Amino acid sequence: MKFLCTDCDTAMKFKDVTRPEQGSVTALFECPDCFTEIAMYLNPSETQMLKSLDLKLGGTNEAAQPMQLVRSQLETAKGESMPDMFSSETSSAETAEGGKCPFTGVISEAFQEDTTPTEPTGPTWTAEALERLERIPAFVRPMAKMGIESFAKDNGHDEITGEVMDAARGNFPAQF
Amino acid sequence: MKTYNELPSDAGSNIVGQVTAQANRIQQRLTTIKHTVAIMSGKGGVGKSALTANLATALTLKGNTVGVVDADINGPTLAKMMGVRDATLEYTSIGVKPAVTALGTKLISMDLLLAEDDAPVLWNAHSQKDAFTWRSTMEVGALREFIADTEWGELDYLLLDLPPGTDRLPNVAELIPNLGGVVVVTIPSEVSQLIVKKSVTMARDILKVPIIGVVENMAFYVCQHCGEEEPLFSVDETLDEAFQQSLLGSIPFDPQLARANDNGTPYIDKYPDAPASRVLVQVGKKIQDFFISTV
Repeated sequence: MKFLCTDCDTAMKFKDVTRPEQGSVTALFECPDCFTEIAMYLNPSETQMLKSLDLKLGGTNEAAQPMQLVRSQLETAKGESMPDMFSSETSSAETAEGGKCPFTGVISEAFQEDTTPTEPTGPTWTAEALERLERIPAFVRPMAKMGIESFAKDNGHDEITGEVMDAARGNFPAQF
Repeated sequence: MKTYNELPSDAGSNIVGQVTAQANRIQQRLTTIKHTVAIMSGKGGVGKSALTANLATALTLKGNTVGVVDADINGPTLAKMMGVRDATLEYTSIGVKPAVTALGTKLISMDLLLAEDDAPVLWNAHSQKDAFTWRSTMEVGALREFIADTEWGELDYLLLDLPPGTDRLPNVAELIPNLGGVVVVTIPSEVSQLIVKKSVTMARDILKVPIIGVVENMAFYVCQHCGEEEPLFSVDETLDEAFQQSLLGSIPFDPQLARANDNGTPYIDKYPDAPASRVLVQVGKKIQDFFISTV
């Protein structure tokens, strides 16, 4: 896949990828000339297809681990035959050359679903806004939520209300 | 506006590079393997796995170093047939050490990775709904890793026991572009030969993979009391003429072979004088001769 910034007629560059949330992955791409960002959403089936090909969005600098696909993806595996392949050493964001890669940490965990409970750090949602969020189709909802939160943060909103969603609506294709 | 081919790269993911790296891992591993042989049929229940286990033993007993890939990801049986079901795989920085039989044959099989006897192969996914869209791809990925990431060491022969279906050989041929040859297994029934012919066409005409020959399994039954040979299937069933020309051997049905497989005992080592053992040894020799003649 390639992405073109139609304003600049310039190839966009990969910027970041999220861990799967409800099976969906979001990849961000940026125009190196005008810095416009676009988000590519993979629905759960598309995410799963990418996993099954053992390909990493954004590429990887790390050597493949022995049987990394089977070991990370076989749900009905023997425990003792599946030692943890993602040691602290291999999940480090440091590349082999010592450089800091902004997405290596995500890539090295190879599409493992993020189930770690985290403290809320972004804006809070009102009940009305959450209800409207639920109306967004499930396969794009996580990405829409992330986009709205990003919009709220960039515009100084501590709370996401219906008005904030209206203001953010112009930035997203999904209707909510 | 620039077209696809005018854009310099795929935005940084280097998908082509990643796929090439996967192929290179296989090629690197295959450099220490002299001959790769796929055992296939297209039809289920003809005895491919039993044949593979015994051919591996026959070749090993002839002094060859032999490895086996149980390419039947969803129905793996070879770990049991070869008596290594209790083996624990050991992971190192360069690969996975395979299970090794008492005679020294190496094996990798999904059965060595599954938690319980009744555990099916189930892949992590947000949902198993619509899994048909990606499951086959995952299975090919697993097969790729079995070949590429197993520490085979120096091998004279790597045998791949393929599951039923004419679609499996193309997967293997893609993973191993220089596949040495194919052994086709059938039984003396029209139904089997109808399906097996499709597999032969796929191998010979579409994929251009050399056919080493055909093995007719369960060809007849030898009476254990009088030694007389009786047809196991209908007396009217004969091997197709095209198959007869490349016949490597006709293996008689022997209940002891089935019991040996169930017990994980190498049949031809335990019953070297049994009629089926003699044919299996002959088939192994013909496979060796095939590669000698093609050098």
